[in-house]
Amino acid sequence: MRNKRRIRYLLVALAVSHLVVVFAGFIAPCDAKQQDRSLPYAPPTRMHFVGASGFHFRPFVFASLADADGYREDRTREYPVHFFVKGSSYAVFGMIKSDVHLFGVDAPARFMLLGADAFGRDEFSRLLWGGQISLAAGLLATLITLTTAAVIGTVSGFHGGWVDEALMGVSELFLSLPWLYFLLGVRAFLPLHVSPTGTFFLLIGVIGLIGWARPARLVRGVVLSARNRNYVSAARGFGASDLYLLRTHILPATFSVLLTQAAMLVPLYVAAEATLSFFGLGVSEPVPSWGNMLAALQHYSVLVSYDWLLAPAAALVVTSVMYGMLADALDS
Amino acid sequence: MKALVRLALVVCLCVANLVASAPAPAPLNQGEELARVEGSTGRYGGHLVVGQRSEPKTLNPATATDAISHEVIGRLHSDLIEINRATQKTEPGLAKSWKTSPDGRTFTLKLRKGIRFSDGQPFDADDVIFSFTVYLDEAINSPQRDLLIIDDKAPTIKKLDPYTVQFSLPHPYAAAERLFDGFPILPRHILEKSYRDGKFVQAWPVNTPPAELVGLGPFRVKQYWPGQRIVLERNPYYWKTDHDNRRLPYLDELVFLFVGSEDAQVMRFEAGETDLINRLSSENYALLSKEQLQHRSQLSDLGPSLEYNFLVFNQNDLSGKKLEQISRKQAWFQDLKFRQAVSAAVDRDSIVKLVYGTRGTPLWGNVGPGNKAWVNASLPHPQRSVETARQLLKSASFTWDASGQLLDRTGQVVEFSLVTSSSNAQRMKMATLLQDDLSQIGMKVNVVPLDFRALIDRVFQSFDYEAAIMGLGGGDADPNPEMNVWLSNGSSHLWHLNEAQPATTWEREIDQLMNEQMVTLDYHKRKKLYDRVQQIVSEQVPFIFLATPNILTGAKSEIGNFQPALLDHYTLWNADQLFLRNAESAGAR
Amino acid sequence: MKYLARRAIRAFALLIAVSVLCFLFTEMAPGSFFDEMRLNPQISPETISNLRSRYGLDQPLVERYGHWLLAVAHGDLGYSIAYNAPVAPLLWTRALNTLLLTTTAMVLTWLIGVPLGVWTATWRGKWLDRIVETGNSLLISIPEIVIALGLLAWAVRSRAVPIGGMISLSHDDLSGWGKLRDVLQHLLLPTAILVLAGVSIVVRHVRASVGEVLDAPFVRAGRGLGIGQVRLLFRHVLPVAASPGITLFGFSIASLLSGSLLVEVTTGWPGLGPLLLEATFARDLYLVIGGIIFSAVFLLAGNFIADLLLMASDPRIRTGGVNAE
Repeated sequence: MRNKRRIRYLLVALAVSHLVVVFAGFIAPCDAKQQDRSLPYAPPTRMHFVGASGFHFRPFVFASLADADGYREDRTREYPVHFFVKGSSYAVFGMIKSDVHLFGVDAPARFMLLGADAFGRDEFSRLLWGGQISLAAGLLATLITLTTAAVIGTVSGFHGGWVDEALMGVSELFLSLPWLYFLLGVRAFLPLHVSPTGTFFLLIGVIGLIGWARPARLVRGVVLSARNRNYVSAARGFGASDLYLLRTHILPATFSVLLTQAAMLVPLYVAAEATLSFFGLGVSEPVPSWGNMLAALQHYSVLVSYDWLLAPAAALVVTSVMYGMLADALDS
Repeated sequence: MKALVRLALVVCLCVANLVASAPAPAPLNQGEELARVEGSTGRYGGHLVVGQRSEPKTLNPATATDAISHEVIGRLHSDLIEINRATQKTEPGLAKSWKTSPDGRTFTLKLRKGIRFSDGQPFDADDVIFSFTVYLDEAINSPQRDLLIIDDKAPTIKKLDPYTVQFSLPHPYAAAERLFDGFPILPRHILEKSYRDGKFVQAWPVNTPPAELVGLGPFRVKQYWPGQRIVLERNPYYWKTDHDNRRLPYLDELVFLFVGSEDAQVMRFEAGETDLINRLSSENYALLSKEQLQHRSQLSDLGPSLEYNFLVFNQNDLSGKKLEQISRKQAWFQDLKFRQAVSAAVDRDSIVKLVYGTRGTPLWGNVGPGNKAWVNASLPHPQRSVETARQLLKSASFTWDASGQLLDRTGQVVEFSLVTSSSNAQRMKMATLLQDDLSQIGMKVNVVPLDFRALIDRVFQSFDYEAAIMGLGGGDADPNPEMNVWLSNGSSHLWHLNEAQPATTWEREIDQLMNEQMVTLDYHKRKKLYDRVQQIVSEQVPFIFLATPNILTGAKSEIGNFQPALLDHYTLWNADQLFLRNAESAGAR
Repeated sequence: MKYLARRAIRAFALLIAVSVLCFLFTEMAPGSFFDEMRLNPQISPETISNLRSRYGLDQPLVERYGHWLLAVAHGDLGYSIAYNAPVAPLLWTRALNTLLLTTTAMVLTWLIGVPLGVWTATWRGKWLDRIVETGNSLLISIPEIVIALGLLAWAVRSRAVPIGGMISLSHDDLSGWGKLRDVLQHLLLPTAILVLAGVSIVVRHVRASVGEVLDAPFVRAGRGLGIGQVRLLFRHVLPVAASPGITLFGFSIASLLSGSLLVEVTTGWPGLGPLLLEATFARDLYLVIGGIIFSAVFLLAGNFIADLLLMASDPRIRTGGVNAE
């Protein structure tokens, strides 16, 4: 009973977070590519309620001014936060065009909930927009990897013999190849510019190709031991078909392994895009993704100076934990 | 398992016999012709730790190709004539004096007498002859060889007496004495055998026993730990002394720590594990500035470097290659007004601000303000103007569609890819800024980051690119090292490599000017010629110059005589003079 | 015996396949080692092409592969272009350093991971399990690079542990114990990163598989029969639940040489990782290929050990035994 409630909560939380990402255009106050060159690495804008004229129910912000060691608020004018304001145009699902944003402030002030990156771009907006590609690619690639792994691992473990020998040989081959070199080669065969859609499928393809071998071996190990348990042998003795054995006894045994792998792979795959970007295979500037936003953190000076740029890492961890807990709850 | 046991042994067993205190400087000899250097006199002792991005690959001066190997090699050897990095002028090195013949073709060098290699063996003209025989040998294929070959002809070298050598050049060559800086003199008594046996190329790998690594530099190798560090100790026979006639170097040891990356260099410095940083990015400079007081370090901003970053469009001859897409776009790239429009639309001030954190300088030509002897100060520095850019494009019959996208005269959308090295964070940022700048005049730019060697392959070999952000320069201040960038048949004539004939009249004029300045000996005449080259380049914009970073370095404040320079080996060029102010205590390790 | 022979043939075939594919990949990748020199306007293209031919880089792929195979037959792994030296000794010194780091980390990971996994599985659903599991979920979702950089930033600020390298500068002056302590101190940070990144996966797998077996009918029956908790766990549950753990353990062995690349690079550990990464970007072909072959041997060994353990844990698993054919 408690478990059911937990599942419901988690589903709601996941649905909300995904809707936020899907409606990034509406919720994000500005376009992900818009640079504000006067505000590089501006910290998150603070929301105020108490101003010169006392307490306001409508929060307001101050404009940021650069000074010797960072930024300070220009307290001379208050900019109230407005809702449903007009701004840059965007499209939801690539179809519904609009230019209404959930919130915003009047120029020249900026309301940057999570601060700005090196180009003065709004980190919050980029986080939402970036989630679209990263989450989809991460989840889809995980799904593909694990499906492949489940099929190959099951066939290998259940069939045994030369099939097992061959499939595991291939998996070992895939585990030992120099993939970084492979990525260099792949880039050379692609056209100079790969469109965002192309990049999306490329990400999934490359990650899926490289990632299946480990989980496949894990699945095979489980299948191998499940196949030979007494009750399975007994069922076989009673004339149960292979399909029946697989469905009722063997495949269920692999679920927990697959779920555990999924919990590990989703964040891994989202972050892997930072590596792929290095080879010109990732989502390239100025389009945001959690992976290429994380890449900025690889610079020590950025990591220790601008805490707010950890936002994509936090978003990644939170989403992955939610998926992990959901998987766990579904399992039990 | 056996491996582990061996490893445990390595870890646990003392390598104590290797530990010995650094050799004391040898007493001065009567007959030694030593060089006395300026600078404040320091204290003997202590060791200096420098973080390097990776380890040196070889210690062979004639085969090393990477900067990191040269950084170490430079401390182990000396040259005949040296360029003082602080004054950018030549100074006597192993040659105590030299004479140039009036036609500028013959150089007679007098060598220092009585000085010794780091193993105590004497140095004379035979070592010089041997070294240059090696450098000029085609079978060795030393990268330095190309520096000596002028118009396909090699200079000849003659020994006049044990301490006099004569170099004869096939042509007069401006500032030829500068070439000697970069040709370390090798010990004939050590290397001649391997050279005769045809094994010179394999000589002196990093793991050579230290006793065989002999040189005339301020330091010699003491110990090498693969992947970790190389420890140099004082060369007791070094040929320079300080003002008080005390033999240099002051330091007992110079340690190069292989740390892996620039960020690691900064972390190690910040943690106090290293004493000196050769070059810093502006972000890391800012980071260390915040903690400067706490860690008692001296950070210096030396102003604009000699390197120049630029945007280049592919104007190479693509016939015979299957690159129709690109050759169609070359109609734009070859249009002067198109290039001028791009140049006008580029926001150089933003590059300086956002890429270099204001520690950089915008550029409109190949010679920046850092190179005071050669910069053409009369070149215009137009402000960014989207309006001018649009005017230029309009006059070249480009148009805009309803959404503001730029179209060429045939109605094609103006869209191109911009490749740059993904390992260069600064150029990656420039690309993002350029993309936004150019979108304001309706150009669609797709940034494509590429691995460094993949980028070089496209720019130099396959020509499969449309536009690139690259950087050049940074070696010497003289124009001669840049010959191949500006000559139309040059191998670094990036926008159009190895032209059989100059493709344009202005490239023909540059060819003439460059060739003339190369054989002109008078500085003022050369300057005039080179000023004209800079002017043509800035008018014809084959490169759209962007900006140059400042040279930023850091060292602990207890290091004396720290005098970083704009030229290569920014901080360690005077390692022989560096000392620790609190040497006694530091010497105790 | 027949099984061993079959495994040996498979291993041999695999190494051949890996080497062939390595050569193909290196052929596909654009650029070559000497390309960096092209940026120097003072070096002529002729010099570069001469250097290329000195190292045989201008020969056709098949010919280069043939030369390489011949070299391998003579117990040699080829020649590094960058270091101008044979590959095998270069790799060997670094491999030892890597093994020191990874075996330490592996032992710790499993010593912590397995008991924690089993323990939380027996407490499944209780608050203690919840706490461990939540912490574990968090840990499993943090990419390794973030763990590495976070710990590194902490170490730089706190100066509690050395932040890079394997030994300190004064190492030579230390006594035998001092040396050991010095190395252990330097091991602390990279090991911590590896353990933090690896332990959550072990805990997860162990907890999941033990938990599953605990729910199985035969365990409930056993409990009903009054078999003690400890005896039940060790005699009946663990052997059945071991399989994913064993395969995972095989991975741990398999990745002893290749699994610590990121950590070695970020913390400056003088292992194979930084060497091979640099070699990859520098197109130092034979160094890369040698390193890959080195790691492939470990991978094969790891998987072989895992398969042997699988059989040992459950005697009914015999390759070629019960078969669905």
